[in-house]
Amino acid sequence: MRIALTELRRRPARFAPALVALMLLTLLLLVLGGLLDGLYNGSTGALRAQPGELLTYSSDAKLSLVRSRIDAATAAEVAKAPGVEQVGGLGVVLLGAKVPDRAEEASVALFGYQLAPRGVPSPPQHTGDVYADRSLRAHGVKLGQTLLLGPNRYPVAVIGWVSDTNFLLQGGLWGNVETWRKAVESARPDAVLAPGTFQALTVVVSPGSKPTEVAAAIDAATGGTTHTVTRSFAVDSLPGLAQQRTTFNAIIFTTFFVAALVVALFFALLTLERTTMYAVFKAVGASSRQIFAQVLSQAVVIALLSFALGAVLALAATFVIPPQVPLQLTQARAVEVVVGLVVMSVAGSVLSLRRVVRVDPASAIG
Amino acid sequence: MLLARAEIKRARLRFGLLAGAIGLLIFLVFFQQTLLGSLLTSFTGALEHQSGTVLVYSADARKSLEASVVSPTLVDRVAAVDGVGQAGPLGEATLTFVAKGQQVDVAVLGAEPGKPGQPTNLVKGRLATAPGEAVASSEDVGKGFGIGDTVATASGGAKVTIVGLTERSQFSVQPTLFVTFDTYETLRRAANPDATSVPPSAVAVIPAKGVSPREAADAIAAAIPGVDAMTRSEAVTSAPGVSSVQSSFAIVLGLAIAVVALVTGFFFLILTVQKTAALTLLHAIGAPASYLVRGLLQQVSLVLGVALVVAIALLYAAVSGSSSGLALTIDPTALVTSAAIIVALSLLGVAFSIWRVVRIEPVEAVSHQGLGGVE
Repeated sequence: MRIALTELRRRPARFAPALVALMLLTLLLLVLGGLLDGLYNGSTGALRAQPGELLTYSSDAKLSLVRSRIDAATAAEVAKAPGVEQVGGLGVVLLGAKVPDRAEEASVALFGYQLAPRGVPSPPQHTGDVYADRSLRAHGVKLGQTLLLGPNRYPVAVIGWVSDTNFLLQGGLWGNVETWRKAVESARPDAVLAPGTFQALTVVVSPGSKPTEVAAAIDAATGGTTHTVTRSFAVDSLPGLAQQRTTFNAIIFTTFFVAALVVALFFALLTLERTTMYAVFKAVGASSRQIFAQVLSQAVVIALLSFALGAVLALAATFVIPPQVPLQLTQARAVEVVVGLVVMSVAGSVLSLRRVVRVDPASAIG
Repeated sequence: MLLARAEIKRARLRFGLLAGAIGLLIFLVFFQQTLLGSLLTSFTGALEHQSGTVLVYSADARKSLEASVVSPTLVDRVAAVDGVGQAGPLGEATLTFVAKGQQVDVAVLGAEPGKPGQPTNLVKGRLATAPGEAVASSEDVGKGFGIGDTVATASGGAKVTIVGLTERSQFSVQPTLFVTFDTYETLRRAANPDATSVPPSAVAVIPAKGVSPREAADAIAAAIPGVDAMTRSEAVTSAPGVSSVQSSFAIVLGLAIAVVALVTGFFFLILTVQKTAALTLLHAIGAPASYLVRGLLQQVSLVLGVALVVAIALLYAAVSGSSSGLALTIDPTALVTSAAIIVALSLLGVAFSIWRVVRIEPVEAVSHQGLGGVE
């Protein structure tokens, strides 16, 4: 083991190709993972923050918040269903927002809500006041500013900040129901809903009730005109989210595979070049296990060093990448990458085991 | 040369496995490339294959047709701009339809008959000219969108009958219907009876004779504030999702191509290291370095050639056997480009092996114990 580490210290250039390749792969893995996390959180924050365990859509909306319509009579049926404790209406409109002193419009999702989501205060009393998601600061939004929404420039004033409440990668704005209705009326006359009608309902389940059973009870109570799902199901059903996750995970797994391949090929070559040295080690009493432990320890050290350097590069990248890019580096992702990298390096180096075992000590003496 | 071929003959399994492995990796590259091209066509084919060569969105739409809403009066204002030949309203919405008893997300595009915004890739039937008629994407015939089929909105039950089929003209990777603007309005009102009006999403424009789309777009942008006038190709490339899909696939493709080069390079490097003694002896008995390098390159070319054949065969099998909703179309130009890049990078990958071969010193043959030398 000590010999392996000494070799690493004394001849670092020999290991540089593998180190650089793995460092770049680490950077790629962290940035890809960070993008995936950023895209997921930026798309789903508003739904994940909902106070109810269930969300009720109209049955013909295919779980699209924008296409769903729940009228007042249906909402009353939902409220009366067994196991329902509280029901709140929810509406959203996706718009462009003109930010003072900024040439580029910001993409916003203006919500009108009755039950306050996690981390969002109760609905503002004044129509036209909104809480803005902190991510909008990257677009120049400031507290006290008036944003002009949609083609007809409906004004809303930012009165506070909230976190992790974005929807479909658009910055979350949270106002009272009247603010949402007026903004829709101004910007999207084709999406106007009658008074009392919402796009969806957030449903708080009574203590002790099973959310899936309550969901079935709600849909039965409304005669099948609604489709009630758990919050997590609603999140996973957002358009494009599953495909996005599949694509990114495919890239991430391919990258891990490439890392294993790089390590395997590198150590196969290294072992080949050191056959004579290993024969000498064996001739003086070293076992195949001891020699392979050296290979393994070198692979692990290279993986850890590469991760450290790659992580520094990834952190540096966050300062260079524009704040509009939804890159979120999390500890969980970093742990996943370092563990994955070490496992793949070990797996890759195992390919050299056969060659190490086959080294004949007799060849050391010709 | 003879030796290189003889080596392959004697180690058919080793070289065969390598060619197979590289073939699979190249197939991965080709298949992803085909998938990317087909996906982009399904994303924006409807925009690309409609007759308006200039599209005018609202400025706050951030180049997204789905997010754009324009005033109906904008159509006349655009039509009055110098350089504009024809202008018409273009509506776009995703609605839930019932086809073959199933709820399906459908993109609906509405344009006035005879005005810009008509589908240009009609392959069967005719354009929609009357209320309740639609042209559907031919890729979705199996889902209940064939000529003569009638589909209805899930809410409101507004019906349309398919009278024509287009090709490569989907929008947002969904079944797509091209209808008249009146029908579009009817469908929107059926889906949301509370709507106070159904304004167009954009204005589709055909420039006057002798005016290029670029010139017409610039003239509209200069004459009317608060709008985003783009040429059709700009609207296609800047549509939301297109660049993110392109960059995601670019990473995967780049990685896969790098892996091919890496695997080829490392394999031949290991082979070269293993054969160093034999190559040294050959060099010592008079074989010039160029002969040894040519042998190596011949082996690389043969392995890559077989790998490419394997990859292309697999690609054709995969595309013809594909049963996904996405219509896959092979782009020969893109395949040739990728193949050239792969071959070039793989040759670069074996450059280190070539360097090692060139560096071989014939004198080492007499000091190499394995070759009978003394040290």
